[in-house]
Amino acid sequence: MKEREEENFVTPGDILGKALELKPGYGAYFSSHDKTIYASLTGFRSITPAPIDSEDQRATVEVKGHKAHGPVPEPGVVVTARVTNVMAKMASADIVCVGPKSVKEKFTGIIRQQDVRATEIDKVEMHSSFRPGDIVKALVLSLGDARAYYLSTAKNELGVVSAKSAAGATMVPLSWTEMQCPLTGQTEQRKVAKIDAV
Amino acid sequence: MEFVNPEGLRLDGRRPMEMRQLRAEIGVVSKADGSAVFEMGNTKVIAAVYGPREVQNRSQQSNDQALVRCEYSMANFSTGDRMRKPKGDRRSTEISMVIRQTMEACILTHLMPRSQIDIFVQVLQADGGTRSACINAATLALADAGIPMTDIVTSCSAGFLNGTPLLDLNYVEDSAGGPDVTVGILPKLDKVTLLQMDSKLQMETFETVMQLATEGCKAVASYIREVLLENTKQLESRRGV
Repeated sequence: MKEREEENFVTPGDILGKALELKPGYGAYFSSHDKTIYASLTGFRSITPAPIDSEDQRATVEVKGHKAHGPVPEPGVVVTARVTNVMAKMASADIVCVGPKSVKEKFTGIIRQQDVRATEIDKVEMHSSFRPGDIVKALVLSLGDARAYYLSTAKNELGVVSAKSAAGATMVPLSWTEMQCPLTGQTEQRKVAKIDAV
Repeated sequence: MEFVNPEGLRLDGRRPMEMRQLRAEIGVVSKADGSAVFEMGNTKVIAAVYGPREVQNRSQQSNDQALVRCEYSMANFSTGDRMRKPKGDRRSTEISMVIRQTMEACILTHLMPRSQIDIFVQVLQADGGTRSACINAATLALADAGIPMTDIVTSCSAGFLNGTPLLDLNYVEDSAGGPDVTVGILPKLDKVTLLQMDSKLQMETFETVMQLATEGCKAVASYIREVLLENTKQLESRRGV
């Protein structure tokens, strides 16, 4: 706490240090004409030494203490999404969580037919894998096109984690392709996620 | 009309090189990503910043930088005579553009491609120098929203009446028709991002008037810094760090 004194408080435009000694991190920018690092955000200056094995031995200077932005999906992370529309070749879904954090804005994702499961990818029936309203866990494959992220459920632990039956009850998974309604006993087809027992 | 009396005082009792009282508050609009109220004497403006968020109009989307939009409006009750002005009249479109260009110059737009930043400023009370107050409010709101900027922009106006350079003109002095120089600077980098003038001024006097306005900008900058420090401290203590 003591180190976070007023002399470490910076506003945009404050000098953080010389580029010969420091590397700009989050909230800092490098100005090439005077070889100086300036702050671009409001907050407190913090310096992290470079890892010992890295080639660049300059410490990284960052600005911390500003408001956190909402999480944004990026390739490689597991997201939770609600299926909104199922088409013959793909299903679209609204991303609700990135990892454990809920998102602030609307992000849409698309699960294409070839990304639903790992095997027999050309025999996938979209309508017997997802239904609108299902909650799915999926991996972000790429930033996708201008409209949506590309999602994949081609792993055992990915797929539908919660789904309502036609009768309106939350269904119980039977196998990796089936779920059963506890009220009517009817089974429905889904690409079910295998969730580890807690 | 006499704007500076023989004792050297202005109509509102200020000295020629004196600014009006400044007051600012951050986080006044809870739904916005960043917001601020800025007062210069009786001039009071509110600014709200939304973004960076998805571009609403895809045709305006740019793949290498963020789109900055600004909307300036004056509340009907902000002036003495209540006038119903149409939204987007010449004056407000011009000021919107001025604020947009000034803020765009300091925002690191290349860090946020394919996104847009909306700045809304509204004048709640008008008593001269609304342009400057709006820019100062917008800077505070952008800093509150955590949008990366090269520097904070501050603005202040100065005029020349009765043979005296006057800092931070109020409405009466502004409507006297004399020269009115509005300057916006990046105080740390010592750069000018905005310079506007109404009517004419001699070259030599212009230098001193602009110098005066720049000094005013620096005073505003140190005040804004104080406000930001106070706000950041509060955020820290609320977070329990």
